[in-house]
Amino acid sequence: MMQPGSSRTLIAGLAIAAGALLLAPGSAQAVPSFARQTGFACEACHTVFPELTPYGRRFKLNGYTVDNLPQVSGMTPSKEESLVLNQLPPLSFMFQTSYTKTKGALPDTVLPGELAKNGQVLFPQQASLFYAGRIAPNLGAFVQMTYDGTSGSFGWDNTDIRYASLVSDSFLWGISANNNPTVQDLWNSTPAWQSPFDQRSATAPTPSAGTMIDGGLQGAGVAGLSAYAYLYNSVYVELGAYRSAPAAAQIDSTSTNVVKGAAPYWRIAYERQWGRNSWEVGAYGVEAKLYPGGGIALTGPTNKYSDWALDSQYQYIGDDHLVSVLATYIHEKQTLDASFGAGASSNASNDLKTFRVGANYYYRRKYGGALGYFSTKGSADALLYAQGTPVTGFANNKPDSNGWTAELDWVPYENTKFALQYTLYNKFNGGDTNYDGAGRNAKDNNTLYLLGWINF
Amino acid sequence: MKRIIALAAGAVLALGSGAALAQQDAKALATGVCSACHGPEGHSISPVFPNLAGQQPAYIILQLEAFRGHARGDPNAQAYMWGMASQLSDVTIKGLADYYAAQKPSPGEAADPALLAEGQRIYTQGIPTQGVPACASCHGPNAAGAGAFPRLAGQHPDYLVAQLVGFQSGTRANAPIMANVVRTMSAQQMKAAAAYAASK
Repeated sequence: MMQPGSSRTLIAGLAIAAGALLLAPGSAQAVPSFARQTGFACEACHTVFPELTPYGRRFKLNGYTVDNLPQVSGMTPSKEESLVLNQLPPLSFMFQTSYTKTKGALPDTVLPGELAKNGQVLFPQQASLFYAGRIAPNLGAFVQMTYDGTSGSFGWDNTDIRYASLVSDSFLWGISANNNPTVQDLWNSTPAWQSPFDQRSATAPTPSAGTMIDGGLQGAGVAGLSAYAYLYNSVYVELGAYRSAPAAAQIDSTSTNVVKGAAPYWRIAYERQWGRNSWEVGAYGVEAKLYPGGGIALTGPTNKYSDWALDSQYQYIGDDHLVSVLATYIHEKQTLDASFGAGASSNASNDLKTFRVGANYYYRRKYGGALGYFSTKGSADALLYAQGTPVTGFANNKPDSNGWTAELDWVPYENTKFALQYTLYNKFNGGDTNYDGAGRNAKDNNTLYLLGWINF
Repeated sequence: MKRIIALAAGAVLALGSGAALAQQDAKALATGVCSACHGPEGHSISPVFPNLAGQQPAYIILQLEAFRGHARGDPNAQAYMWGMASQLSDVTIKGLADYYAAQKPSPGEAADPALLAEGQRIYTQGIPTQGVPACASCHGPNAAGAGAFPRLAGQHPDYLVAQLVGFQSGTRANAPIMANVVRTMSAQQMKAAAAYAASK
């Protein structure tokens, strides 16, 4: 029995954690508790974590329910299963530590003309606790709580709780409740888990403009429910909707980007497997009407974001050589009735387009490398992309950024990864030289990033 | 009060070790779980995973028992099957073996005629100079297998090669006969024999 004192401490701790609920920066994880539950080595589901193999996609599709552990079980008098529970809870831990150095030091946050120390160690960058595994015969969860080293807070991260039912060899359906559009997706070509862009420095500057489906809605705080079906082991369709669910006592004018009603999300994909190869092509999108908030009442006109995207993924998984190529193109049409009316954007409507392509190679799942190209382009808008803020400003009022990411990886064990990554910017927030109007060049944001990542 | 709830819960709960899997109907297990890798009715896509359709039931039983008891420990056996088989009961194993044995075998895969010709020699006559016996003497003239000797016909050639390599290197150590058979075989000879057997 718990001591009254310790229970008070626990409740206080939970209250603090709940009060500090913040979305941690995008991150993608592999979870040893899945390995403990299934008895599979990580390589059954991952090429190298977090990228999924065809079997990994199937495991997720099935609601994380494949289970080879001793069970605590219950049965009704009419022989219906009333409980099937792992004898040990499917818990895992993750620890990431990192070193970041940008080509040009960042300006001091307080003293004009002074520079911050360049070369930042985060210990941890992130530390996460996962509940990941089966809950009931057709129900499973991937729940991540993350301590974020830059904000110093503990909060919800990626969450996907799903129910799945296999009707026949050629038909499976399910429901997912999750907190980030595409976190429930099966392929690593969509934003939430796009390899090799899913791991990056938590402190280096990153381009300021992004589409709603590419982290915008996640950042604002949403919760969604979607239904999916998988047909003939090749066709995936999903339809769902997201509502605002920021970590706030109430949603009012202090919130930003509040979803009016619900934002529909859709996804369709086709995958073909042959031999050790698999190839996927698909499309996905979201339609979100958002109140900008941030001091403006949650009534009247909204900003409408209409995102559609294409994606494709190819994988070859050999015993010695593993190759994957992953790409996505996202098009966003912004109809900014609310922002334009309030004088927060210069145009009534804007476009924003993002393209990313990456290739990964591993030798025996141990030594690997990745190369990726990313580009965002969009309409110029003097108010939306305003100049004047050092580092994050836009001197040319354009959201355009592009560059390359190269990475070397060493995976001494299946649950341990060391990555050395370099990100190079040709263009950042609309310019290459003096892009922020404060004298900073795009290449000053080039980032050397060293990551140590363990899961256990 | 808490104690009463705990007692009530205890009365309902049966603490069973792997009871859930053991009680499952083998066919439901095969179509619901095994098929994710071994394909619908035991016809798999990736050569990492063997075709099981039409496999000898005695062989399937031996392998599942070897996975469960960790006697078969080649890399993919460890990665996938140690976990998968860990909670299977003898009854379920028998059910799975019967289910897969009853499925229609996969058709043989075509291959380069020169390779097949070399494979046919090894398969039917062995390699007397290297002390390799004819595969046909145990696996049968049509590679359909018999009892503990598995069907090779219609298998993925890549899978068969991986097994031969495993017998030779010792990673798959649950078949002493095969360890002896492949001791002197070259990579090319393995490839040829596998291609011929799979093509049947």
